[in-house]
Amino acid sequence: MSLAIVDAREWQNMFDLRTGAKVEAGGTRVEMMKDVLKKFPYPGDMDPGSNRWVSDIALDLIGAYHPRFVFLNYARQYFSIRYSAMDEAERKKMIRDVFAEVERFIGESGFTPIVVGRGGMTPLLEYIDLSKLDGLAICTHWSARYAGLHGPSSADLVRLNAHPQIEMIVEREALLRLFDGGGEDALRQPEYLLVAKKGYAFKTVSSVMRRPVMIHDADDYIPLFTPLGEVNDITAIRKLIEDNLREHRIALIFLEGVGINEFLLPLASCRNGKQWYCHEPGAAQYLSITSGRHRIFDYPAGYRSFDEDSGEKEYPLSGYFTSLPRDTIGEGIADRSIAVGNNSMFMHMVTGADMCVECFARNLSNQGALGVIHRQDK
Amino acid sequence: MRCHYCEWRCELGPEKYGVCKMYFSDGETIKERFPHRWCTCGVLAIESIPFYHVYPGSRCMTIGTSSCNFNCKYCANGFIAKQDPVEMQRDMLDLSPREMVRIAQKLGCHHIVFNVNEPAVSLDSLYDVAKEAQAAGIGMGCLTNGYTTPESTELLASIFSFFNISLKGLSPEFNREYIGIPSPEPILRTIKRLAEISHVEVATPVIQGVNDHELDEMAGLIAGIDPEIPWHVFRLLPEDEMKDAQYPNIELINEALVSARSKLFNIYFHNFVGSDWVNTLCPECGTTVIERFSLGCGGDKLQRFLCNDGRCPSCGRGIRLLGDRVAWDRQGGAV
Repeated sequence: MSLAIVDAREWQNMFDLRTGAKVEAGGTRVEMMKDVLKKFPYPGDMDPGSNRWVSDIALDLIGAYHPRFVFLNYARQYFSIRYSAMDEAERKKMIRDVFAEVERFIGESGFTPIVVGRGGMTPLLEYIDLSKLDGLAICTHWSARYAGLHGPSSADLVRLNAHPQIEMIVEREALLRLFDGGGEDALRQPEYLLVAKKGYAFKTVSSVMRRPVMIHDADDYIPLFTPLGEVNDITAIRKLIEDNLREHRIALIFLEGVGINEFLLPLASCRNGKQWYCHEPGAAQYLSITSGRHRIFDYPAGYRSFDEDSGEKEYPLSGYFTSLPRDTIGEGIADRSIAVGNNSMFMHMVTGADMCVECFARNLSNQGALGVIHRQDK
Repeated sequence: MRCHYCEWRCELGPEKYGVCKMYFSDGETIKERFPHRWCTCGVLAIESIPFYHVYPGSRCMTIGTSSCNFNCKYCANGFIAKQDPVEMQRDMLDLSPREMVRIAQKLGCHHIVFNVNEPAVSLDSLYDVAKEAQAAGIGMGCLTNGYTTPESTELLASIFSFFNISLKGLSPEFNREYIGIPSPEPILRTIKRLAEISHVEVATPVIQGVNDHELDEMAGLIAGIDPEIPWHVFRLLPEDEMKDAQYPNIELINEALVSARSKLFNIYFHNFVGSDWVNTLCPECGTTVIERFSLGCGGDKLQRFLCNDGRCPSCGRGIRLLGDRVAWDRQGGAV
């Protein structure tokens, strides 16, 4: 059973991650997790101390748990750049700050880094309003480039094909062919995937209400730094880790909102997709990296996630995830692993690490932190 | 011409828009400045809004407009409610009542619930949506601050069939400093009136050290109207102008509710992840009759519904609910 410990400052509660049932449990790792959550209350997504919180927790867990593989995600700069109007100098400082934080972590931990920028950001030029279709358009989560189109009329398709800010409209079957999908892969996939031109974001009835200043750039290539060897595709990162884990303690470090132009370390350009498709920094990109193969069908862009959001859904603390993804790197390696991040529920679902800590903030509202213990047998 | 929608009763004119900046007068009637302009049409479980005693498990299309007639220091939706509505319009959805209802159907929603800002600032548009929704068999509910005039409270009751009314504090000092209104009396009047004719739940955000000493008195006032009214006590997160305030201590607030629990049958303490105080217990025998899971910040879910005939399975006492349990996918949401 995976244990979930929520920490709402000076108050903790424990649940079965899958069922959400309250549980009582003890033991070294439970106490370790409770202790680290208590020691480091989450300061908030846009707080200047948010990225430091990631390093502090990771360093604390490294000292107590001695993992060989660490998965980190730093996201404060992404939230701030997304929502705060700032000039170029302020943005650059924010980027410098996160690299300084990464440097601190590497210096204090002694881990060999693989640093990956998940993609740059670009100013939001305008919304593409899809609210008046005969069919239903869904823009999933924080996506800007992609929207799903369900049940469109022929008039919808004519209108959308003529829209100057829509780059392409892709039929479900074409997407399945591109990624060798079939059978169950099609279940969640919308009939059409709409692709916006650079700088434009879809606005659908279910979009988030807060207007961003900058949005994901959905880059064809993302930057990667590591002294461990050459990698030119995001799906090759996992093998690089597995090939080197015997010799090195490795930290796979993700930087949100950082593309090739912002990356401050010597970099290799890493292919971030296939043909015309490039990953936005969502679950698909994470899973493609941690699984070593493109995984865009688990929770595809523009699917009707709300249809699955009933009270009966398992993994109630895990956002739209309905099951624990299999074949992730943490699950696949025999060595101890941890994951820490300040971007939503991804750490405990996409890494498979033994011990995971993440902020529990939704739409910037700081509810506290979540610790998940997947494994107690290593 | 004076506005009669809320107790500010603002003087309106062709270019005089009142406190909420949402209405004007052409000399003969009050008109909306931005009719049928919506900031969202999202999907939420009814428990997330929160309504704990209304059609448990149902799927709601949540909507909002812009602006507000209050100026709460801790507004969680200040990025909408506190902005100049003129500035907001570029991002709003422009949807007719028919389009709104059609979208609710496409999303598979059983209800439409206004939950972002204050419905009193957009009453005409909401009235139009309600007519269309009623024809389609879709009910409407809302969160409201309850600062309506007696006449517009009746209008609210004609639009919505269930309400969660925010009772933020009792002392005039608190209401002046934290909410920007002179008195909570109109709110208490609205709770009383709507509870007579409709389904009402009440919500109170707690600011530790500021209004937590009033919890017992509030419980007494609500119980004086109807002890069956569900009361949602929210752990208020530091937001907006109070973002530097301390995080309220959960144990201390819970202790402050001990006496209140003897006055009201259904007190819920939440707005934080993993709350232990979101289940409905039978007022007679204490058996858990509805189990929920709380994710805080608009993420509560129904987990188990154990009073299928509206009665406690142990002692048979009636559990007050508006409507039956609803399956999440009952509507289908086919496009």
